[in-house]
Amino acid sequence: MKALAILLLLTAPAWAHKPSDAHLSLDVHGDRVTGRLDIAVRDLEGALSIDDGDGQITWGELQAAAPRITTYIEQRVAIAADGTPCTLDLGTAKLVDLSDGAYWAVPVSAACTRTPHTFDVTYQLLFDLDAQHRGLVHVDGQTVIMRDGAPVHIQLGAGTSILSFVRYGIWHIWMGLDHVLFLVCLILPSVWKRDSLRKAGREVFEIVTAFTLAHSITLVISAVGLLRFPSRYVETAIALSVVAAALNNVVRAVDARWAVAFSLGLLHGFGFSSVLIDLGLPSHELIGALLGFNAGVELGQAAIVIALLSFLFLMRRTLAYQALLWAGSSTVALIATVWSYQRWVA
Amino acid sequence: MGRKAFVLAMGAVGLAGALTAAAFVAPNRAAAAAPAYVPADAATIVAHVPPRDPREVAERQALAAAPERVELAVELARADIQRARSLSDPRYLGRAQAILARWWKLPAPPPDVLLLRATIEQSLHDFAAARTDLDALIAERPDDAQAHLTRAVVATVRAEYAAARESCAAVARLAPPIVAATCMAPLNALGGHVAEAYQGLAAALEGRTTPGLRAWAMTTLAELAIQRGDEPLAAQQLQAVLAVDPEDAYARAALADVMIAQHDPAGASALLAGYEQIDNLLVRRAIAEHEAHGPEAAKLAKMMHDRIAAAAERGDRVHQREEAMFVIAVDGDAGRALSIAKSNWAVQKELADARLLVKAAVLAGEPDAADPVVRWATQNGITDAWLDAWRRRLP
Repeated sequence: MKALAILLLLTAPAWAHKPSDAHLSLDVHGDRVTGRLDIAVRDLEGALSIDDGDGQITWGELQAAAPRITTYIEQRVAIAADGTPCTLDLGTAKLVDLSDGAYWAVPVSAACTRTPHTFDVTYQLLFDLDAQHRGLVHVDGQTVIMRDGAPVHIQLGAGTSILSFVRYGIWHIWMGLDHVLFLVCLILPSVWKRDSLRKAGREVFEIVTAFTLAHSITLVISAVGLLRFPSRYVETAIALSVVAAALNNVVRAVDARWAVAFSLGLLHGFGFSSVLIDLGLPSHELIGALLGFNAGVELGQAAIVIALLSFLFLMRRTLAYQALLWAGSSTVALIATVWSYQRWVA
Repeated sequence: MGRKAFVLAMGAVGLAGALTAAAFVAPNRAAAAAPAYVPADAATIVAHVPPRDPREVAERQALAAAPERVELAVELARADIQRARSLSDPRYLGRAQAILARWWKLPAPPPDVLLLRATIEQSLHDFAAARTDLDALIAERPDDAQAHLTRAVVATVRAEYAAARESCAAVARLAPPIVAATCMAPLNALGGHVAEAYQGLAAALEGRTTPGLRAWAMTTLAELAIQRGDEPLAAQQLQAVLAVDPEDAYARAALADVMIAQHDPAGASALLAGYEQIDNLLVRRAIAEHEAHGPEAAKLAKMMHDRIAAAAERGDRVHQREEAMFVIAVDGDAGRALSIAKSNWAVQKELADARLLVKAAVLAGEPDAADPVVRWATQNGITDAWLDAWRRRLP
């Protein structure tokens, strides 16, 4: 028997699991920090004895332990922005299946008194139970590995490269349905009238360029603080610009749609800038952020336009296209009218 | 090119651009993207844990009340190390370490703690620390067979063969002959006496012994057969080990290596199917399936990439040998494999690590990178059929 014990210590181990990790992912928007903390259910069992002893942890057992888990986290995780503690708030947890089993996924939000440039994260979960535990803190494109209970100082902005703003710009134009619909309404008729791809392409190019120029101008003016309007006015005006662009396809008021793109496009720049203003960037970071963000907006826009243009051009003689132009534009006008109202009363 | 084709091409370009941008915009961390959900009902089982042992619970409470009681801590830590092995879950090593926290950083902890600390250090590939602890332990308890055996393993990994022989000689005094023979045979084989080492161990295997020891000795014997270049014999021996204990992951990995080397990747893949949870077996199945052009090649490669990424994310470099194997065979990136194999060689110097570094150096076209292995082989008079075949490809 003695020899067998020796053998157990010897044989090269073949691991079927990861060592213990937890993930704390944080997003910073101004003085609000939101994110999620994922802790392995098996680790919670080790720390808090959740199981009734049968070796199987049920969702019911976990939920019953939720208050204890919350207390455990609150006592051991803390965030400070530029040295001032933030108030941590834990939401209602769900489950998430990672490669290594089920994790308790609890939404985290923190109210800080200011927009942070540095974070001090204190993370003391599980180290007293498992010396090989690692807390992986994901914030601002960086991952910081917590190896013991010592607080870690994280410089924000180190990961806010121009690239991250390019990403942000693309994201924004795709999520901002109003900008996309405005542009789509303006380019829809170009294909219909033009039999030559080159002519159609040139008209679309003029419209997109006019829109780009216009919103870039107001984006810069507003971002650097030369001229700003309350977001309620801006957002409502943007919705109205979508109504105007859509109606123009139905009633054919203005034929020079590049002019519409330019004049109403000015409004959209004010909308884009509010995203950057909300980030509360220091002035020395603003130029890079502006360039990156605008580049991202243009890239996202170009991808949509190129894909759409090809599709529309092939469809231009079909019945569906006529229907799309008239019925689609009317529908967009209707939706955008609703938006205008909602944004005004909100 | 027709106009229609041109328009279609433009559409494809736009779509590709949009997809690229989508990939770029999407959150780049898998965990952040994994959707959280609420299980259907309270009875849903979400995790399995080892059933609670009432005696252990009592011991934990006793230790919490009197944290200086080292004998309690040692017993609990030993139970966690056993659990780490039996469940193949390294998390319990970290728990054992945490139980020993009070003594972990002491320069001279009690002997029982030294042994457990060395065992954990060895598993975390901190071989230098393990060696120091085992030396200290043996100075205090020269008749601890377990300490000598672990020291022989650690010294072998560090290419400190004199120390390894010394410990195997001590094992011969303290443990059954089969243990001593299995300890010493690989050292004799490395030193250029493969045939004698093989005969000696084969003779020791004639006697009666426990199934566990027999499996260990037989696997070692198969490794000597490979060293002699007799892969078919090694395959037979490893199959015999697996016939007794199909859960022997070490033997299964060794057999898969033999089959891959014998140009039977499809057979190796079949051998490993269903064992993907175990890292050492996943990497070999991914390689086998890749070489066999099997239907699961892409899926397995992705699984392996995910595991490598997960280990790297937490700063672990425990699996460099497996990572280099994978990068050579599946990614086909000999340059990167070479840099991993080099940093692996700095940590561990077993035959498998030597073979890997030479192979990567040859494939990467950087023969000089193999110098440390060539020096090691010359200094220690190493003979290995596989290694010699690859070394012949060095200029």
